[in-house]
Amino acid sequence: MAVLACLTVDQDRRAQWLRGVLDLCVLGLLARGDSYGYELAQSLQTAGLGAIQGGTLYPVLLRLQRSGLVTVYWREGGGGPARKYYTISAAGLAVVADAAGQWAAFAGGVGAILQERTAR
Amino acid sequence: MRHEIWLAALSDELRRHGVGPDLAGHVVAEAAGHLRDSGEPPLRAFGPPDAYAAAVADSVGGPAFVSRSAGPVRLRAVDIVKRYGKRTVLSGVSLTVRAGQVAAVVGANGSGKSTFLRICAGLDGADGGQVEVHGTLGYCPQAGGTADFLRADEHFTLIGAGRGVSRPAAARAGARQAAALDWAPGDAQARHLSGGTRQKLNLVLAGLGDPDVLLLDEPYQGFDRGTYLDFWHEVWRWRDAGRAVVVVTHLLNQLDRVDVVLDLSGVAA
Repeated sequence: MAVLACLTVDQDRRAQWLRGVLDLCVLGLLARGDSYGYELAQSLQTAGLGAIQGGTLYPVLLRLQRSGLVTVYWREGGGGPARKYYTISAAGLAVVADAAGQWAAFAGGVGAILQERTAR
Repeated sequence: MRHEIWLAALSDELRRHGVGPDLAGHVVAEAAGHLRDSGEPPLRAFGPPDAYAAAVADSVGGPAFVSRSAGPVRLRAVDIVKRYGKRTVLSGVSLTVRAGQVAAVVGANGSGKSTFLRICAGLDGADGGQVEVHGTLGYCPQAGGTADFLRADEHFTLIGAGRGVSRPAAARAGARQAAALDWAPGDAQARHLSGGTRQKLNLVLAGLGDPDVLLLDEPYQGFDRGTYLDFWHEVWRWRDAGRAVVVVTHLLNQLDRVDVVLDLSGVAA
């Protein structure tokens, strides 16, 4: 991935990449532990995926919920109103396990091609 | 204050896009929380209310199921007949539910839904037919089933003991299952709990020890809308964990998401 980080990437292309993997990244984060929307957005940013807006993130969470890959519960926040927490399901964990291997192969392929090109 | 206007507009737009009131309430509450946490202006975080509502409607409109295969048969009821005096309540009713499936038993009041479930649970005898259960069984009645003078944690211990679950494991499982229904059991005896909370207790007890077959008789009586959704999420979770779940219900809005529907309307006289 280091080679990709070196490239000057326009926002459009970055957004396109993200569209393909955002649901998997969210599942991956939830595989580490339950979380809520805003915290997931912060974790994604910390991971270097840039600022994910709520308008992008929550529909993805709804789709994951709808397809049974995550379950939800509401919990009182620190003094504030209840927050919607997401828990990854057994099916979600299976998807993460599958995707991890597929993504490594895919990213490896892309990386190899780009690296070859810059090496010339 | 501008948040409030945007959130109110979102609420309207969700309704316009055909998003049900339960889900719309959750979406608005979640967006409000996000705006509060992030301190961002709503238009930047979510865009215009109509566009975000459209994205939400789009996300929930897709197919409900992840493709998966059902496991071995857990419950098989064949040609069940039940009469009360001269009245035939069930005349040759059959149902097969496999591991990883949810069956809904529907029908008008008096169509024998609860009777059928009680026969499957072995609580009532049938006048004909046969029930096979492969594995352990959890049953949640419509009401009753709790002991007035016991606290929730004492119920967990008691029912857990009957299913070979140790006291600490039963307490942990009970608390976790209760949390999934948005309930934190306290020190109150069951007789002091509201009807809805007693049903949550019943539901938690039915699932203790992870039985292979769960028979749930309209367990959501007295639940508020949020908890009702939590209940169905638990049902999907049980299904995904390979349990066979039978839910007696008169509410039809979840039927597109169950695997088997047994309709008792018009079966009996």
